[in-house]
Amino acid sequence: MTDTVKISTKNVDVFYDDNHAIKDVSMDILDNTVTAFIGPSGCGKSTFLRCLNRMNDTIESCKITGELLLDGEDIYAKSVDPVQLRAKVGMVFQKPNPFPKSIFDNVAYGPRIHGLVGNKTDLEEVVEKSLRRAALWSEAKDRLHAPGTSLSGGQQQRLCIARAIATAPEVLLMDEPASALDPIATAQIEELIDELRHKYSVVIVTHSMQQAARVSQKTAFFHLGDMVEYGDTSTVFTNPVDQRTQDYITGRFG
Amino acid sequence: MVSMTELSAKHNSPESAARLKKRKAAEWRLKAYGILAITLAGMALVTLMWSVVGKASGAFTESYITLPVTLEAAEVDPDGTDDPSVIGRANFGGVVKDALKAAFPFVKSRGDKRVMYDIISGGAAFELRELAMADPSNIGQTMDFRFLASDIADLYLKGSYGALVEQSADGVLTIESDGKTAVVTSSAEDFTFVMARVKADLLAKAAFNRDQAALQENGRVVFTERGDLDEAAKREVERDRFTALAEALETRATQGGGGEALDKNSPSVLVRMGETWVKLTEVSATGGEGDVIGVLDSGDWAAGDWQVYLQDVPEASRKVSDLQIALIENLRNAGAVETVFNKRFFTAGDSREPELAGIWGAAVGSFWTMLVTILLAFPVGVMAAIYLEEFAKKNLMNTFIEVNINNLAAVPSIVYGLLGLAVFLGFFGVPRSAPLAGGIVLAVMTLPTIIIASRAAMGAVPPSIRDAALGIGASKLQTAFHHVLPLSMPGILTGTIIGMARALGETAPLIMIGMVAFIVDIPTGVTDSATVLPVQIYRWSDFPERAFEARTSAAILVLLVFLVLMNGLAVFLRKRFERRW
Repeated sequence: MTDTVKISTKNVDVFYDDNHAIKDVSMDILDNTVTAFIGPSGCGKSTFLRCLNRMNDTIESCKITGELLLDGEDIYAKSVDPVQLRAKVGMVFQKPNPFPKSIFDNVAYGPRIHGLVGNKTDLEEVVEKSLRRAALWSEAKDRLHAPGTSLSGGQQQRLCIARAIATAPEVLLMDEPASALDPIATAQIEELIDELRHKYSVVIVTHSMQQAARVSQKTAFFHLGDMVEYGDTSTVFTNPVDQRTQDYITGRFG
Repeated sequence: MVSMTELSAKHNSPESAARLKKRKAAEWRLKAYGILAITLAGMALVTLMWSVVGKASGAFTESYITLPVTLEAAEVDPDGTDDPSVIGRANFGGVVKDALKAAFPFVKSRGDKRVMYDIISGGAAFELRELAMADPSNIGQTMDFRFLASDIADLYLKGSYGALVEQSADGVLTIESDGKTAVVTSSAEDFTFVMARVKADLLAKAAFNRDQAALQENGRVVFTERGDLDEAAKREVERDRFTALAEALETRATQGGGGEALDKNSPSVLVRMGETWVKLTEVSATGGEGDVIGVLDSGDWAAGDWQVYLQDVPEASRKVSDLQIALIENLRNAGAVETVFNKRFFTAGDSREPELAGIWGAAVGSFWTMLVTILLAFPVGVMAAIYLEEFAKKNLMNTFIEVNINNLAAVPSIVYGLLGLAVFLGFFGVPRSAPLAGGIVLAVMTLPTIIIASRAAMGAVPPSIRDAALGIGASKLQTAFHHVLPLSMPGILTGTIIGMARALGETAPLIMIGMVAFIVDIPTGVTDSATVLPVQIYRWSDFPERAFEARTSAAILVLLVFLVLMNGLAVFLRKRFERRW
């Protein structure tokens, strides 16, 4: 955990038509840190996460105001191409969604479309590194040309992580990455997340407070579109400032 | 207040058992309806195929008649040039006629000769011409040539005009001949059966006249009631005339012995002595009088050397005359007739002569038309679908476009023909009757089908795939072309091929743009005049020659084979692509 601010947001509001989904959220997300977003369903944590790589652009009714800065640059500036941005801010989704292609092609897709590597040898190296970093190499190295969909659920999710880190992002967004997995696969993913924070700034949305407590250094609690509390994970879980946080983490609602 | 315990108890009540019984009965009924529906559909299909295949079988063989022919130098190449262009101008029709005249020298009268010429196809002269042009050394030679039989001869050989049935004959036949007509008398009553058949025919005719008389009587009654006595009197006269006719016929039929005159409306009776035939114009129990076909002297013929034939269909009701029957039978006996697989049907273009007509011109026309259709409809349709599904914003304009595309799929195809006539032919000047014009019209007709099928296929691609691609920084275009399009390809191809199959079977719009023309040449490109398979079927079904009936069915079979192949391809492609992903 460092003190370098990777993403800085100021007074961010998000509307879906008339629905005010995110209300005036300001926070700094640190580099080399796992930041967890927790909160009850429908509190806006996923929406906020998707603002960070402009995935909400695909939703026509979505309006975003406020300031979001990545390394001091406005993400929503006219000059920023969302496609370029998403190469730098990778994303892993709730449900494992490998492309119905081979494992190799899944991982190589990002480097290929962004022209990151010039030749085949380099590409193979990138794929290997990504798979290694996603702790999938030992299982996948002999079947790189098997379809990605033939892997188990946990392996598929690690493949998706490998695919996300193959584009050499600086930030990795994870939207409930372990919610569709069994406890063993979840443990593997959590271990992986802990590894990944040495290289990336990781933001993870989770429903599981234990998971947030285990993997994150910083935790933000969202409730009904408000960011209620944001601080060190240990503080938020042991000594929350806000009564709502207290109620949520002790299981009174949510 | 509902007590849940009471509700639970209801599960085991008699009412519950009755409900269960009713539900099972309903399920059983539904299954029965389903099986019934499938059986009916299956029977309809079997009946269709049975009828089409049964009728088509005649078109898959053709008949040839081998006759010696002399390519007289004086007639074909008088100056001895050996130049194909000179030879090509010769009258080969005359050569064919000479060959027939040489084979049947006894056919003398002009009318009989014309009837005789009709057993050889008009196309035989062209084949003879090609032979002479290809190898001028044949000129001056006498050779056996296989003449294509005419449609009439071919149909007769296939038994389409009723059978010539041989009757038993045990007596000695005495002939008194003057060369043209002959009186034939058997020592036994060998013509009894024939007489019975002729008399039965007379009774049938009498019954017909009685029916006519009854109709006139009805008319008389009605006119009398109306007070129109003039008309009633006319009806009465007519009634009496028909009754008299019927009575006369009945008298003839019931009288024993004597002779009975035969005409064009009676069954034909033919007596055969080797190569010579007598066509009876009057028949009695022991013989009769008739016209000689061939050369016949007076004399006696022992039993077994002569035969009696009965052709039940009157001469007036069939295209093949008794003279032609006699000639064809002579040729058949001489082994000069052969029936072979009809390769011509699959390699020739259209013709007014059924025996020369083939399906290849229409098949090639269909190919060019389909080529134009798929080249236009597939890319345009898929691109439109990609735009609407992946890029278009949900606004009023796009909703309007979508609704209209869906409506276009239901527009009757003839309307597209009118559009093609007015816009493509009238305004853009696309050549008439050409596969280009037909292909454009069918492409416009197929577009909505392809767009709808492609959109449905793209819509079925899970959004998580789009998210995955966008999430690692693929652009919308890359997402559409790298992921959505390949994944939806099986559905797109299925929709396209089904749309193409519909276009392949389409007639109405092509009639509007002139693809219904009579085109003999095989089209060699998209701007040549052409016709297509379904239009060819439509045209042939309208031709009066009977031999086209079989060709129509055969063409339907060819079209069905193409459709089955295309649908098979659709299934194959779908399976293939599904497995790859």
